[in-house]
Amino acid sequence: MPSSLLVTSLVNTIQIGSLYALMALGLTLTFSVIKLPNFAHAEYVTAGAYAALIISLAGVLNPLIIIAVAFLVGALTAVVSHLIVFKPLERQNVSLYTLILASFAVGLIIRYILFTIADYFNIFDLRIAIPLQILFRTGSLILTNLFAWVAPTSIVLVILLTLLINRTALGREMRALANNTILARVIGIPVERVKNYTWLLVGGMAGVAGALWGLQSAVSPLMGWAAIISVFAAAILGGLSSFPGTILGAYVVAFSENTIMLFLNFSYGVDLAYKPAIPFIIIIAVLLIRPQGLTQLLKRAGELGR
Amino acid sequence: MITVDHLTAGYGKLEILQDLSLAFAAEQFSAVLGPNGSGKSTLMKAIMGLNTIFSGSITLRTRELIGMQTEAISKLGIAYVPQRENIFTELSVLENLQLGVRILPRDQRENALNELFELFPILGRRKPQKAGQLSGGEHRMLAIAIAWLSRPTIMLLDEPSAGLAPAIATDVFNILKELSQQGITLIVVEQNARRILQHCDYAFVLREGRLMFDGSAQACLEDEETIKGYLGVH
Repeated sequence: MPSSLLVTSLVNTIQIGSLYALMALGLTLTFSVIKLPNFAHAEYVTAGAYAALIISLAGVLNPLIIIAVAFLVGALTAVVSHLIVFKPLERQNVSLYTLILASFAVGLIIRYILFTIADYFNIFDLRIAIPLQILFRTGSLILTNLFAWVAPTSIVLVILLTLLINRTALGREMRALANNTILARVIGIPVERVKNYTWLLVGGMAGVAGALWGLQSAVSPLMGWAAIISVFAAAILGGLSSFPGTILGAYVVAFSENTIMLFLNFSYGVDLAYKPAIPFIIIIAVLLIRPQGLTQLLKRAGELGR
Repeated sequence: MITVDHLTAGYGKLEILQDLSLAFAAEQFSAVLGPNGSGKSTLMKAIMGLNTIFSGSITLRTRELIGMQTEAISKLGIAYVPQRENIFTELSVLENLQLGVRILPRDQRENALNELFELFPILGRRKPQKAGQLSGGEHRMLAIAIAWLSRPTIMLLDEPSAGLAPAIATDVFNILKELSQQGITLIVVEQNARRILQHCDYAFVLREGRLMFDGSAQACLEDEETIKGYLGVH
């Protein structure tokens, strides 16, 4: 395949991979600290994207403000879903299956609330209205100001989140909760407060991922849902428990969906329509071959939870 | 100090403790003895709010503990060292200890850690290590250390010497003696009855969720029937 196409696909890998990492870290955090594989995570992404789109259409074009608003809306959506649905269910000691089904239901409800809002304002498939500038172009590769926002912002946030988890008292308490919830209670860690902060962070990061996603492609009520399987694939590659594993998993999934897919298309004529199958293949392969994900390989890098 | 009154408790629908009444006196070192399945651990979990209470009451001085969250019970100065899963294996030794002192005011934390390293010098040398990699004895010391760091007035320990080599078990008993001398009320569940009866002040013997014996350690050692019948001869 031509090298210019290879470079473009690698740029896409970095951009999409960074966004996947941002979303998948939230998923890993929810799974380890809250003990919930949360399918509604997708909708926190969409909620953030719509918040960003709406204020950009209202004339706010400063990317930092857009990102901050997306963070708040994503965080609020996550905290509200925790307080109204997940927390009362946990109190009743329901099974994991019940929680997973509930997370599907929460996702559906948020998704169709967003459909209603999008319908009311007639804002389907629009891009967040920041004016496009070309920063760099060579042959087929064009780097815009959007690339300069998406990849670095996600990477910086991933680094900040990793530092928070590994270096702060709150992060230590989150890891303690992930490792041994009963002991965390026994030594007096305010478990509910730590969980609330976790939801806030997870939702906020998802919201920001949505805003950044909406900078580079169209915002629709289904966008989060469309990405969630890739995000789950990334988190499962990380064994659903390891931060470095999840970040690596995110780039592996993005690389497979972009560069490898393009290579298969070019060299063997595999139709690009098969792209959505890739995360499913990754999930099945990981669960069959290495259910612990990449975690063992990264043991020394220090992990979150077991 | 802790009064258990007509307590029936267990797990889910299973009743293990049957209408149990007993009282742990302040600043005493009490042992809870009995065969496997007699409800010793269940009693500790009931005090900490970790299992199902069917009826009865547990009071600390005059305060009812039943219905309180575990986190809140630990804030009343009761520390509990479970038999298993009693440290954060994925965190470093230092992080485990930092979690132990988090309940103290900020300016006392440093001091508490320094005192700890005097009591448990081995933990000072293991600070950066992942706690899951500690040896059996070090693991047990860390578990006791985490509980002790919160400056509790009462400590509940579930089989602190189980599965340890004899020399290391001796270290653990010495630590327990030290804690008792500090004025901490100790409540210790043990399999090794003869051993703990040489150290503790008071003993309770449970069997099938009921109280079989209640008296001084000396009286328990001299009570042939209790020793042979419920504790086995060691």
